[in-house]
Amino acid sequence: MPNSASAPASPPATARRLNEDWLSVAIGLLIFLLSLGLFFGADLLGWVVTTAVWTNPGGALGCVSKAYAGWNRLFYLAATYVFLLVVMAAGARLLRLDVKRFLRGFTAVFFVSYLAWFMGSWAYIAATPDKRGAFGIGWSMSLTPEAGFIIALILGLLIGNFLPKTAAAMQEGIRPELYIKTAIVILGGFLGVTAAEQLKLATAMMFQGICAILVAYLVFWAVVYFVARKYFKFSREWAAPLASGISICGVSAAIATGSAIRARPIVPVMVSSLVVIFAVVELMLLPFAAQAFLSHQPMVAGAWMGLAVKTDGAAVASGAITEALIRAKALSEGVHYQAGWIMGVSATVKVFIDAFIGVWAFLLAWIWSAKIEHREGDRVRAREIWERFPKFIFGYMATFLAVFAICFYSPSLVAKTKAAMGEANVLRSIFFVMTFFSIGVVSNFRKLWEEGIGRLALVYVLCLFGFIIWVGLGISWLFFHGIRPPLA
Amino acid sequence: MDKPKIADELSKMEYEPLLAVEKQLIVWSIVSGLLLAVLLAWVSRSFLAT
Repeated sequence: MPNSASAPASPPATARRLNEDWLSVAIGLLIFLLSLGLFFGADLLGWVVTTAVWTNPGGALGCVSKAYAGWNRLFYLAATYVFLLVVMAAGARLLRLDVKRFLRGFTAVFFVSYLAWFMGSWAYIAATPDKRGAFGIGWSMSLTPEAGFIIALILGLLIGNFLPKTAAAMQEGIRPELYIKTAIVILGGFLGVTAAEQLKLATAMMFQGICAILVAYLVFWAVVYFVARKYFKFSREWAAPLASGISICGVSAAIATGSAIRARPIVPVMVSSLVVIFAVVELMLLPFAAQAFLSHQPMVAGAWMGLAVKTDGAAVASGAITEALIRAKALSEGVHYQAGWIMGVSATVKVFIDAFIGVWAFLLAWIWSAKIEHREGDRVRAREIWERFPKFIFGYMATFLAVFAICFYSPSLVAKTKAAMGEANVLRSIFFVMTFFSIGVVSNFRKLWEEGIGRLALVYVLCLFGFIIWVGLGISWLFFHGIRPPLA
Repeated sequence: MDKPKIADELSKMEYEPLLAVEKQLIVWSIVSGLLLAVLLAWVSRSFLAT
């Protein structure tokens, strides 16, 4: 995904130098490896800051491991900031960014995001009904601390739309794609523990995730392409990237398709602007709809987020909010679902979708060059599948499989692995909240409106809200209904 | 040079009738998607019941 709703031209997958995709793998693996220090008696991430649900703000901050308890609470926040700053600065240098500007932007992103997380942890917002007594409060919104994600998104939207100078000043640090991909690499390890403990359920989840996306690719794309061509009279150059953008995985798919059918670069860029904006709209609506109507089918809800919400960041983020909302509602009914499964199914579906983008683009390139716009001497190279493959998936699979293997073959190490992944997971949450904030900042509704999105937006809204969301729900229901996360 | 606006680019778009090969692509894609849905749902219910 690009870093701006209005200028989404990220480096092409063919770029030889390091890109955000590989960088997210490097940062995610670094954090993962540091967390494994626990196996060797070295608690290397125990000082990472955590925020408890609070009524007294002075006591909210803490650290993830007891080994570091008792230090000044602000130290944990400062240490976490410095650690991430150093890691991200090294990354910015490798990306050949203006490191000074990046650090300024990253600092703003980190602190505004953490402020949002802190606000979201206020007991009146976050506490679930069973915890109100402990906090001595009579009511709460029961949104869990994940409410911080929504607050971060709102703060980002306010800055992106009403404070353009502030947004411009932090632009270099606004990298939703880098943050979410890093978070997904870390998430792989967390889900690996979960999967090893529930092997049968995890296998079913993966198989059904693949089934769901195969069906979604074939049905979604064809219908959106048909609607755009037949009823909105779009040319092929516009209809194909639009169909991929709305139906598959937003920005990456639109860009891959545009390139596959030899569309002018401007076309997928414009489609991408729309994708980013509507992903935010979905992010604000669908998790709450899922809580209202699918709280008894949590895995359907998770898969639905993965299938219906476009862009990696918004989809996995929606999964996280959906999980928080549904678990809170289930808790009020006396059901305590294990954490990780609902968001896990969203992430799994999204990762599979991403993995197939290259194959889909390859197929379209072949169909276009052989059947639709035949060009002499235009050969489609299988290598393009590799070039378009999102590399962060390797990081996700590596952490997932490593942890899965450890827990599966050495059950005595499960407790230690859980503790290690718990530490890494705190940093994953920080990357998540920075993703939400960044998505908000890049979603410039006003600018897009001024561009005259008219007909393009109409076909997008019609297909997304009239078809994709409901068919996505149907497919999720078909493959995931009746499956429930294990109880905690 | 000014960045092109979406509205300007859309207004330049020329009408292209839907070709027979595109119709085939659409129909084949939807039909195979629906058939796969039935087949895979049956497979997952029969062999991967949780």
